[in-house]
Amino acid sequence: MSTDQPIIRLDHVSKIYPLPFGDVTALDDVSLDVEPGAFIAVMGPSGSGKSTLLNVIGCLDVPTKGDLFITGRNIGELSDDELTDLRRDTLGFIFQQFNLIPLLTVRENVEYPLVLKTRRRESEGLVEALTRRVGLEEELLPHKPSELSGGQQQRVAIARALVNDPEILLCDEPTGNLDTKTGTLIMELLTEVNGQGKTIIMVTHDPRIAEYAHRTINLVDGKIV
Amino acid sequence: MIFFEFAKRSIRLHWLRSLLAVLGIVIGVMAISSMGILGNSLVLSVGEALSDVGDTVVVYPHAGGFGNGPPVQTDTVITGRQVQQIERAVGVNDVIPLHVSADRIEVGGEMGVVQVYGMDTADIPLLLEVTQGVYLRGASGALVGQMLAETYDLGVGSRITVGDQSLRVAGILTERGVGFDINPDRAVIVSDQWYRSVYGEADYDQVIVKVRNLEEIEEVKHDIDAALNRRETEVDIFDTRMILETILETFSTISTFTTAIGGISLVVAGVSIFNVQMMSVTERTREVGIIRSIGTRRREVMKMFLYEAFLLGFIGSAIGGILSFGGGYLALLVMLQDTTFLFAPSSLVYIPYGMLFGIGTSLISGVYPAWKAANLNPIEALRYE
Ligand SMILES: Nc1ncnc2c1ncn2[C@@H]1O[C@H](COP(=O)(O)OP(=O)(O)OP(=O)(O)O)[C@@H](O)[C@H]1O
Ligand SMILES: [Mg+2]
Repeated sequence: MSTDQPIIRLDHVSKIYPLPFGDVTALDDVSLDVEPGAFIAVMGPSGSGKSTLLNVIGCLDVPTKGDLFITGRNIGELSDDELTDLRRDTLGFIFQQFNLIPLLTVRENVEYPLVLKTRRRESEGLVEALTRRVGLEEELLPHKPSELSGGQQQRVAIARALVNDPEILLCDEPTGNLDTKTGTLIMELLTEVNGQGKTIIMVTHDPRIAEYAHRTINLVDGKIV
Repeated sequence: MIFFEFAKRSIRLHWLRSLLAVLGIVIGVMAISSMGILGNSLVLSVGEALSDVGDTVVVYPHAGGFGNGPPVQTDTVITGRQVQQIERAVGVNDVIPLHVSADRIEVGGEMGVVQVYGMDTADIPLLLEVTQGVYLRGASGALVGQMLAETYDLGVGSRITVGDQSLRVAGILTERGVGFDINPDRAVIVSDQWYRSVYGEADYDQVIVKVRNLEEIEEVKHDIDAALNRRETEVDIFDTRMILETILETFSTISTFTTAIGGISLVVAGVSIFNVQMMSVTERTREVGIIRSIGTRRREVMKMFLYEAFLLGFIGSAIGGILSFGGGYLALLVMLQDTTFLFAPSSLVYIPYGMLFGIGTSLISGVYPAWKAANLNPIEALRYE
């Protein structure tokens, strides 16, 4: 893959949800190229299709029409296992609800994708390095996620998203459940991570949060405007 | 194994309902194992008691209208002429006519009642085995059964009084167990000359035919029947193998039936595992959404839930297996009053058998919930509250 090839490419992608009282067009003929190392904010009113866009890029949802390429691979040609492995190795997810695994400790949460990938439970100090990188105290590692504050949980989620060294981070309102001060800290962290070469696509309602991105995309009724 | 860890923690987190599901498996496994042990012990104890080799046809004088089992006591007899007819009918096979009666026995002042068999001394080795001493040679002397010998502390050369005749013990018989032809273990065997001279009776009470070729047993029975019962029923003919088989078959059926009843309790346990697993899947829908979205394959989700079902089944089966020793012991004590067959390999095999069923039931019950979890739509699962 050459460096000027887009890391993500949407080619006339539509997503239509068939519903009994009429189809809902969540994405309407969206085309988008994302360069490696980009930091893109996706904005738009509620119901405009922001999450749908992120889910499609995240290979959690398949487009009804059009093609999606991630690192040059047409995901329409991949099996469910291949898509799953792509999410594990190439994509990192950061959610508004943090979405940590309640049964696992902080350490286990962070190393979970690595264990999935390598089938081994040894990280050679990687977990410690990541917790330091995301500004988390090491004493928290043996705790359960429920014992952490929202800001701490989001840092754990970011550490988990980074553990397999993915090329792309997908963030759906990463600061949506955090106070302004904690949100700023998280955004500084994401900016730092982007500076280290990760491509970030972030959905947000908040224009001040969108300012951290290099580029902002506005969605209205499933269309980029 | 991260998925095994998930399963363990999920069970620990919901320990109460897990415990109840495990209890179901424990009871199911115990029911199957204990019933299996009981049934098997039943068959074994019957089989041991009925030591007959099964090559024997027994002919009794016809008992009259009632019952169709071997008569306990009758006034009717088999005459010498009938014995000759039987001999002609069965050809090369050995025919052993017997006198049977009961009499008083006295040994050194100790009194009792004993079964007395009178038979041709040449026939004795065909039917009985001597463990000490020798077979009867002349008309006098007696062979005694092992248990009778123990009761009266008899050895070769001891003197016993039967009725009011004194007899010298020539040999002691090998223990034989309960049979359908004769029961010599607590009996005295004398020559037919002695028997006739003492009891004054020439007719026989029973005729045993030893069949050389087992396949011919039906034929032999048929031939005797044709020879003696043509005009009117003079004799009743039994073959010991048939009796033995019927009894063993009956007990096997009972045993299968009781084990199957144990199986029903396992089905109930399976339903409870199914319930617990469905609950677990529903509660953890969001968690499944999370792990699917960050790169967990369907098979891995499936594994995670199957491990959970397996663990419940394994714990239940392990506990149930251990308790089955107690359960089996109790069942034997109550039903058979005899626990000697608990540790027979063919009894013990019901414990791993029951455990296997326990684990199998749990796994089968866990398949659908696990499949359901694995095939959840990740986005919808993530949205689930
Ligand atoms: N699974 C689904 N089934 C049916 N319709 C859906 C589904 N998911 C999304 N939609 C519809 O698609 C449209 C876009 O939804 P989406 O969640 O992408 O909006 P959003 O921009 O993320 O909104 P918000 O800012 O409120 O999160 C909405 O009209 C929504 O109702
Ligand atoms: Mg949304």
